[in-house]
This record gives sequence, C-alpha cells and structure tokens, in this order.
Amino acid sequence: MPLYEGIGLTEKQAVVIDIGAAYTKFGFAGESGPRCIVRTEVKCPETKQVKKVLNYSSKEDLYDLLVEFIHTLYFRHLLVSPKDRRVVVVESLLCPTLFRETLAKVFFRHFEVSSILFVPSHLVSLCTLGVSTALILDVGYVEAVLIPVFEGVPVLHAWQAQPRAAQAVESSLKALLLNENSEKEDFPDSTIEDIKVRTCFVTSFNRATQLEAVQPPPDVVYREGGTDTFCIPGKVREAVHEVLFEQDNDQTSISTMILDAIIKCPIDMRKALAENILVIGGTAMVPGFKARLRDELKHLVQQPKYASRLALKTFKFHKPPAKENYVAWLGGAIFGGTDVISTRSLTKEAYVKHNKVPDWADLSYNCWEEKMSL
Amino acid sequence: MSFLLQPEIVRYQCTCGSLKPISRIYFCRHCLKIRCGYCVCHEVSSIRCINQTIFLFGSYLALKLMCGDFVQADSHYCGNCLENLPSAEARLKKNRCAACLDCPSCLNTVSTRSTNVAAQNPDDPSKTVTRKAYYLACGFCRWTSRDAGLPDQTVATGGWPERENVHAARLSSLLEHYKILALRERQEKERKKFIPRRSYLHFSDKFGLTAVMARKRAGLPPLGGVGLKDDAGTIPELNPSEAVEEVDSLPADIYTEPVSLSQVTTLAQRLAQPEFQTELVSDLFPAHKHLMIKRSQRCRSCEHNVSKPEFNPGSIKFKIQLAAYYHVPEIRIVTCEPLQVDKQGELIIKLCNPTQHQTTVHFLPLSSADDDLEETEKETENKIKMEEKDAQKTSQGRDDVSILLPSLSRQMYISEDPRPVNVKLTGEVILPSLPVVLPPRDDAAEYDDSGDTYHFQDDPKVVVWRKANKAAVKMVVIPLHSAVEAGEVLVGFVMKYTYVNTMATLEQKEPQKVDLKVKVYINVGKTVGSCN
Repeated sequence: MPLYEGIGLTEKQAVVIDIGAAYTKFGFAGESGPRCIVRTEVKCPETKQVKKVLNYSSKEDLYDLLVEFIHTLYFRHLLVSPKDRRVVVVESLLCPTLFRETLAKVFFRHFEVSSILFVPSHLVSLCTLGVSTALILDVGYVEAVLIPVFEGVPVLHAWQAQPRAAQAVESSLKALLLNENSEKEDFPDSTIEDIKVRTCFVTSFNRATQLEAVQPPPDVVYREGGTDTFCIPGKVREAVHEVLFEQDNDQTSISTMILDAIIKCPIDMRKALAENILVIGGTAMVPGFKARLRDELKHLVQQPKYASRLALKTFKFHKPPAKENYVAWLGGAIFGGTDVISTRSLTKEAYVKHNKVPDWADLSYNCWEEKMSL
Repeated sequence: MSFLLQPEIVRYQCTCGSLKPISRIYFCRHCLKIRCGYCVCHEVSSIRCINQTIFLFGSYLALKLMCGDFVQADSHYCGNCLENLPSAEARLKKNRCAACLDCPSCLNTVSTRSTNVAAQNPDDPSKTVTRKAYYLACGFCRWTSRDAGLPDQTVATGGWPERENVHAARLSSLLEHYKILALRERQEKERKKFIPRRSYLHFSDKFGLTAVMARKRAGLPPLGGVGLKDDAGTIPELNPSEAVEEVDSLPADIYTEPVSLSQVTTLAQRLAQPEFQTELVSDLFPAHKHLMIKRSQRCRSCEHNVSKPEFNPGSIKFKIQLAAYYHVPEIRIVTCEPLQVDKQGELIIKLCNPTQHQTTVHFLPLSSADDDLEETEKETENKIKMEEKDAQKTSQGRDDVSILLPSLSRQMYISEDPRPVNVKLTGEVILPSLPVVLPPRDDAAEYDDSGDTYHFQDDPKVVVWRKANKAAVKMVVIPLHSAVEAGEVLVGFVMKYTYVNTMATLEQKEPQKVDLKVKVYINVGKTVGSCN
C-alpha cells in the first residue's frame, strides 16, 4: 500500500471510471470494488434541473455536463485532486467518437490528469476471471451488447447489439402499470425503477410459454409518497421482463444474440465460446435472469433454425467474483492496477502533440504499417 | 446574504467566459485576472511544512527526493465528529471515519444507545448482575443494529464487526497474476528497445545448430544466465475461473409467497455499499461514515491560491480568500424607469469601491464581437504554439512511454479554451461619458453623519448621489424589440477601473497602479406596455 503516496517517490493511485447510461462506477485501480456507484446525472447549476449526462444536445453541452459530473465524483466521492493522476476509462468498443473525444478533452484540459488509459469493457471483464476466451454479454440500461473474445482478441465482426435492456423493461413496466391503474396519469422514472428492482423477476422458461394459463404470483401493494397506494398485479411482476426474451419480427432476442454471435464465429471457436459465457451489467442481476437465459438457449438450439447450423450441447456460464453491475469496472481496476497503466496509457504530452485520441476505428492508428513505424 | 438568495441580476464576465455574480468570482491578485469556480484548479487542500534544509539542494530532483520531510496533512474530516485525518490515514481507511457509522437503511448517521441487560454472575450462577450493553440505533428510520443481528457491544465506541468482501482473496491473486504479466510485457518491450541484437548467434538456428550448441562451442555461458530472463519471477499459478452449467435459479416460492416491500432493500440502499449490495433489509450492515474534504482553489495560470480554508474542520474561515468582492467595484441597481421598447429609460446603478485605494471608474461600450473574436483567436494560437513547444520539451520525441513518474518530471501546462459568451443583449445602453472617482473604503465613515464634503467635481447628470466610497450613477437604457421575446432586458458594458496592486514581486516592490477592464451584464427587468 503506497503509504507515501503523493510525495514524489511513488506514483499516485490511478482512478478507474466506467460511465454507464444509468449508473457510473468510480473508484481506485487495484481495489476490489468501486468506491461509489452513482447515477450518471447532474443538477444543472442554472436551471436546477437534474439532467442525464448522456442526454446531451451538443458537444459543448456534453463538455459542461461531464465537467460538472466528474467534479462531483472526484471531490465528493473519491476525495482526491484529479491533477497529475492517471485515469482508466472503461468504455464500450461501440462508444461514440464524440463522447470519447469530449471525455478525453475534459480529463486533459479541465482536470489536467497526467494520462488516460482507455480499456474496452468486454475485454477487461475477462481479467476478473483469469481466462482469455469468453462470450461476453453486457445487459446495461440502453442496450445489450455482445462481443465474443477469443484468446484475448475481441471477435469484432460477430458483435451483436439490441435495445433490450433496463430501459425497455422500464417502459414496458410503465405501460403495463398505466394499463392496470387507469386513474394514474404517469409514474415518475424513479418509482418505475424502484418497482422493477424490488418486485419484478424473470420467470422460468416453462411458465413463460404458458403465461396466460398459470396462476400469477401474488399482487403487491405499492405505497407512493406516504398515503397514496396502488396495486402491482402479479402478472405484471412476472411478465415485465419478457420484453428481453420475446422474439421480435426479426426473430431476435437476448438469447438469439448469443447464438447468432456464435454462428458468426469460425467453427473452432464455437464450442469454447458456448462453454464460456459471461453475463454482466445491472439488468443481469434480476432474479432468474441467468436461469431463463440458459433454458432459452437450450430450447433454441434444438429449433430448426439453429439445429442445422450449430451442434452445441452445453452452455456454461462464468460466475465473476463481483456483482454483475460492476464487473467491467473491476476488470478495469485489475488491468489498471498493473504496470500496463504506465506503458499503454495516452499521456498528456501525446494528446497535446497529436490533439487526437487513438481509436481502433481510426485507420491511422489501427493499421499494420502504422504500427510498424510507430 | 442577499447575494446568495437573489437571482443573478448583475453578472461579471470571468476570464474563462462564464458569467457569474460578484459573490461567486475570485480575483487573482497575482495575475490581476478574474477567476471563477470553473476556471480555477480545485484541489484537496493540504498543509505542508517543509524542512528548511531542503532548499540547500539546488536541483529539483534533490528537492523532490528529500520530500520525506514534507509533513503533509490533507484536510479530510468527518462531517459528524469533525475529526480530521491525515491523508495517508484517510486513504488506508478508504475515506471512512473510524468512529462514526451510517444507517444502512436511510443513510443518516446512527447513534449509540445503551441499555441494561441482565447477565449471569460468573461467580454465582444463581444471581444475575446488570451490565451496560450498547447497540446502534437510527433516530430517523428506527433501524437498530439488533435488526441486523449484530450482537450488542460492551464498550460504547468501536468494536463493531467489519464485513469483508468474500472474493477478496481471489481478487488479490488475480491482481498479482496480472501485475507480473504486465511487468513481463514491460521488460520485454524495454529489452527490445535497448539491447542490440547479440552477435551472429541468432543465425545459428538457420544452419541446424541450436543456439545452445553454438554457445557451448564458443565457450560462452548458456543463454539466459545473465539474469534477464527470470527477474520478473515466475508467473504464479492462477486457477482460471471454471464455467458451470448450473446457474442460480429462482426460488420456488417466488410464485406463491407475497412480497413485503419493507423487507426488500431499495436500489439506493444497495448501491451505498457497492461490494455487498444486499437484497434483504435484514442483511443490511452499518457502514462507516464517508469523510469530507476542504478544498482550496488555485489560479491555473500563476498557480497561486485564490482560496484556502483554515485547516481546522470546525473553522469556517479562510487563510486566503481572494474574492472579487474585496477587489472589484461592485454594481447594484438602485432604480430603473419602466422599460418600453425603443424608448429611453433611466437606470441608476450604485457603485461601491471595496478597496483601500481610490479608484476611477470608466464606462465603455462592449467591444464589438469581432475585436473579441480576434483577441481570443490570437490567444488560442499563442497557446497552441506554447503547448506544442512544451510537449516537445517534456516528451523529447518519446510520446508513448513515460518512464519517469509523473510527479518527478516537470508537468507541462495545458489549458482550456475560453468559453464563448452565449448571451444575447436585448437592450442598448447610453453610458456616462465621464469617469467616476470613488474614494477608498473607510469603515469609520459609515458612522459619520456629519456633512459629507466631497471635493469631486461631479457632473450632476452622471453622479446623482454620493456617500463615502459609494456613488450612484445614471445611465440610459433603450430596450430592443428582442427584449419582448426574451422576456427581459439585458444590457452590457465594459467597466474600466484603476486598481492598485500592492503585491510585492521581485521586480517591483512599490504598489502599482493599473487599469483593469471587466465586462458587466445587467438584467434590467421586463418591458412594460405593448410594442406596437
């Protein structure tokens, strides 16, 4: 433990940030859990309204929101000066360039950090397992993103993404509740989230096929604002997560994402990937989620659509040493806790010199010739 | 107080481009610029006592290396017991107070309660003795440590069991494993960079001789004996995670058991302790109270403190507080005639000189936007050039790897671009052409009711009233048509004032008189009457 941190001889402990659409995970590298998991939103100092950081209207707007947000993270939760401290940013491989560059600008220009290490969330999640091959499904707030990783290399062309995540569940819950409680006009988002977290679950595969016929679970009386109560029917509690697993017109769902990704991978990888599935993200913490996913997979693989193309028998799941909602953060904290942070980071000098953030999607960085010359 | 509660009527433009009322801006006395919370460098304030002998060492490195003599005390403190902790200790305790605990249910501070419990007398089992037992109780939500099944304590403070992350051992072995892997990678990278290829021996494999044989023939020690290969240590055995087919399935009674909402934790309660995230209220565990810090603010360009609180957490005073309120003339609206579009209305503002020196205030129109733009462009250009130079100096062509610790190498300074002011003026203002002289502040004058004799040759058309260091100044506002849409008349001008810089520097010991400019935006109010 660096007891003498910050007095010249040892390096300051780096911070690790994972900005999610709903919640941001923030803490120190090398630690076993984030120091805080807070909503990704800020109170606008002028209008006094709470605004989600990811609902930005322009680049300038995003810059201001990020400055405000990261400032509170450092001075309320981590209690360290951001200046001259390294940062590990855990990001999705599909992160928009605008967001990435603005984030780098905020860290370098406003907070004067000494370096940033961008790590892909799917890849570093494997650091929490100690394996190098897995199929990682991240079910977050806005979308579920799947990227297989084989021997430490993300198989990018097999990526899958579906807008089937917490947001879809919440809007379906809201619609169902409004349907049941006709006297209500609207439910605030916080209430909907609370109902989802505390009363809803993912029902088993057998029951899901005959939802209309089975005896629904007990209703719950929900108290809102002290005196007001309304009823959450058992049927809603059970059915609300179906939106994740129901196949839509394109015959896709969370479970088909996994099989589709496996089909897109070369045949030698398929068995290894099916036997190394890692599900992360807050939505994956819903009771019954993984059991349902496994049963869905077993069922689907026998359907003619997949049976002719896949010869898989077993699906195996990893159990990460952390809660699902901060697995990616933890991977970043383990990865960033090593020497890699000094060898692979984007330093402030390099940032100023090129005024650019290296990106895998940018051919000037992700090209073999370039690599040779660098 | 009125500053804190009032809407922002008179706003000053900070050097960074944001508009703030005078109570929320700083004035750096060293670079004579206005700064605000956005463009200063916030830091966790610390007190450093430096051993005098360090300065005998000339070089920067030596100074840095002697830093063991820094006595550093960051102002981490607990908001409940107001005890402050040195930063090293706060870091070890994960920024948590050792004594105070938070209620896991409503996140307020819990208090210790004592009760008498009857216990068997160890000497004589037939008798009972009463002794004190302590438990935790929350005064807000009535949660007690007995709810969590924690045994009562015999001492009033401390002694509560701590919860450990169940995966702690696994995580530390993972970290250890990856650390060594990363070290290997780094060493290999450095070896490639610095060690030239060794003689011709690497060709030997081409001709069917292994390198080992070739070395043997040449009478050289076997490869790898120089300690290059194994100094990273062997990679410790790590059991990779085993994937299993079985996953946690739903409890069978979920379809039949009614849910009691009071037994299930909310998301806020779960996320308050990220590593545990308990789902049942009965499993909630008290958490140590999170510490707070005192922040000091530093000017980014000259690195002087503009605000520095006193170290003691109980004190609300400042050691350094360079608020603009003490240095820049303050403007308040006294009266304003009803505003009609395209009609002249009289606006009277009150100026107040907070400094100990006489000041002269000029009013100038806002320099046209083009001038501004040019100025900022020039500044930005200069800055970019400086940065590039800096970058080359610090990195010396090496931009991928920084071998030195960042704290040892000189940090380059890169700055933020100034933000454009995005307000639209909805009124024109006819400014007084004559300057107004404001006498220095004199606290005694407040109580002096005897005749105010001033020897200022004031034009009564400009200065309507005067007392001590304050003066009321008349100007004319003409609202534009756009004011109807915007709902308010916003006017702006440049205030130029003389400032006496008393900061002694190496070059100049005497106080210096300088002219400073600040842009002021006044929200005069709504228009009245119809616009047609």
